[in-house]
Amino acid sequence: MRITAVIPAFNEEQRIADVVRAAQPYVQTIIVVDDGSEDQTAEQARAAGAHVIRHIENCGAGAATMTGIEAARKNNPDVIVTLDADGQHNPEDILLLVTPLKERSADVVFANRFGQRNRIPFIRRIANGVGNIITFCATGRWVADSQCGFKAFGSKAMHQLDLKMSGFEFCTEIVRESVQHKWRIVQVPTKVLYSEYTLAKGQSFAGGIRTALKILLRSFLR
Amino acid sequence: MILTPYQLVVPLICFVAIAYAWSLVFRHKKTIWEAMLWTVFWGFIAAIALFPQVTMYLTAVTGIKNRENAVFITFFGILFFIVFYIVMRLEALEQRQTRIVRKLTLKNADNDADEES
Repeated sequence: MRITAVIPAFNEEQRIADVVRAAQPYVQTIIVVDDGSEDQTAEQARAAGAHVIRHIENCGAGAATMTGIEAARKNNPDVIVTLDADGQHNPEDILLLVTPLKERSADVVFANRFGQRNRIPFIRRIANGVGNIITFCATGRWVADSQCGFKAFGSKAMHQLDLKMSGFEFCTEIVRESVQHKWRIVQVPTKVLYSEYTLAKGQSFAGGIRTALKILLRSFLR
Repeated sequence: MILTPYQLVVPLICFVAIAYAWSLVFRHKKTIWEAMLWTVFWGFIAAIALFPQVTMYLTAVTGIKNRENAVFITFFGILFFIVFYIVMRLEALEQRQTRIVRKLTLKNADNDADEES
């Protein structure tokens, strides 16, 4: 089974090389989408063995993810896995995510950071809970960890996926796409490694509010 | 119940809007959930047209009891529409910019691959 990992990255020179090296044993190809970084993210990722493509301007996590998926689709892999560049996901879990796709029991697999005992800051739990509720209001589908960037797409989902949202709202848009295209979804508990670095890189409270408003607005504009 | 032309036209427009929303569902461009949201919205507009006394309840809740307040609310509505329109235009521009950046990125990636091979 040919697996391609897509890692959107913005100013992640400190972590990206480690993430690429950690993911290499579990995938055949790694595509890092450098989303207009101002540091050495692209060089670090390339040196670690990833195939790097660069946005000339910072467009957001959603835009970078879709660019990576489009680039990956050209090689027609069996599975595309997306993961964050800050090192919060354990690449060993790629095997768990891919299993339902191998068994053909799912079209898309969502990681669930709350499905097992993980040390997650209280404020993050609240923020993710709010994200889940907004996603449910906008899509009608409940996903236990809708805002997680760690996902695996099977053949049907990867070819039908067409993300229009550029920012962090893309996670909700993926849930919406799963409803629209009637994808079978499976949620798999995974590990998460929160650190000061990871927390600093995440969305701010104001950013979260902005994301929520965009999601609600978009669900009316469609 | 005697219906005025207004009470006939507005529900008709609402019906067309609801029918359009559900036709988008059947064409796989909108989810059932989104169509339900639109149905509630247009249904509410139609209900106000058919049963204007509903607005009496709204005036009690919002405090719009005189002409000055009505003018204020009307302009507030217009302002809301202008902001809504600007946000829509900004969204469209942002999406266009993203598409341009993506095309350029993928084109550059193809050129790099050609050079390597």
